[in-house]
Amino acid sequence: MGLQASTSLTDKSLVERCRAGDDAAWNELVARFSRYVYAICVQGFRFSTHDAEDVFQDVFAKVYEQLGRLRDDGSIRPWIAQLTRRTCIDRLRGAREAATEDVELAGVDDRIAELDEALAVRETMATLPETCQEILDRFFARDESYRTIGEALELPPGTIASRISRCLEKLRAAMEDPVIDRRPVDG
Amino acid sequence: MIRVPTNDIELLARRIGALPPAPEGWVAAAQELPRARAGLDDLVVRSGGDAQLRARLVADLESALAESGISPTPRILAEARSRLEL
Repeated sequence: MGLQASTSLTDKSLVERCRAGDDAAWNELVARFSRYVYAICVQGFRFSTHDAEDVFQDVFAKVYEQLGRLRDDGSIRPWIAQLTRRTCIDRLRGAREAATEDVELAGVDDRIAELDEALAVRETMATLPETCQEILDRFFARDESYRTIGEALELPPGTIASRISRCLEKLRAAMEDPVIDRRPVDG
Repeated sequence: MIRVPTNDIELLARRIGALPPAPEGWVAAAQELPRARAGLDDLVVRSGGDAQLRARLVADLESALAESGISPTPRILAEARSRLEL
């Protein structure tokens, strides 16, 4: 099973393949959830780059070691969110040598809920034409200028704004598509 | 199922922007984990019966790991030291 083919796998199938020792599936799992774990560390818990990197690697080591304990393969996202949250809290406690949960976690769960929505938007984005995915990701997530995007995608910079607008509209329509709503379910 | 209000284009744009890419090196290190663990398992077994290999590991762990195809990240080095009791 190559990496290319695995990108359309559901979370459930991806976890099954990881358990079977499929390296390409593991690569895909890390790629699929890397932004989410990173965002929880730096936006939810406001960790420094150094702390965020440690937690990031810890989380994926735990995912690798504990994947067999996951009861429902389709629930990998909330499981990874919990693992990340707990690992971040352990890091805070280790640093401050105190039970800091009540003080430090104000707003964290709200932020994780927003990141859950962001992940759902990204799943739908994956159904759009590749150019749309690239343009939206480069502009909104990578903060690239029209000029940089134009150069990278070999498009006139003057057309980027209108393309972003059209791609956002396609995304909005796709978000309302009931077929796409069923994507996370296997079968 | 997570429902995102779809009538608000600006909200969709903010949600896309909420997930910037993690640094490439972090992602690569996490992806390398199964291969690194398997390589380390093999090295631990072999070093038990190979005095020369053990001596190489003691003398220069980082190079010995790299020679065995294991990227010597700080995390892998720490794990190797612990498992090889160096």
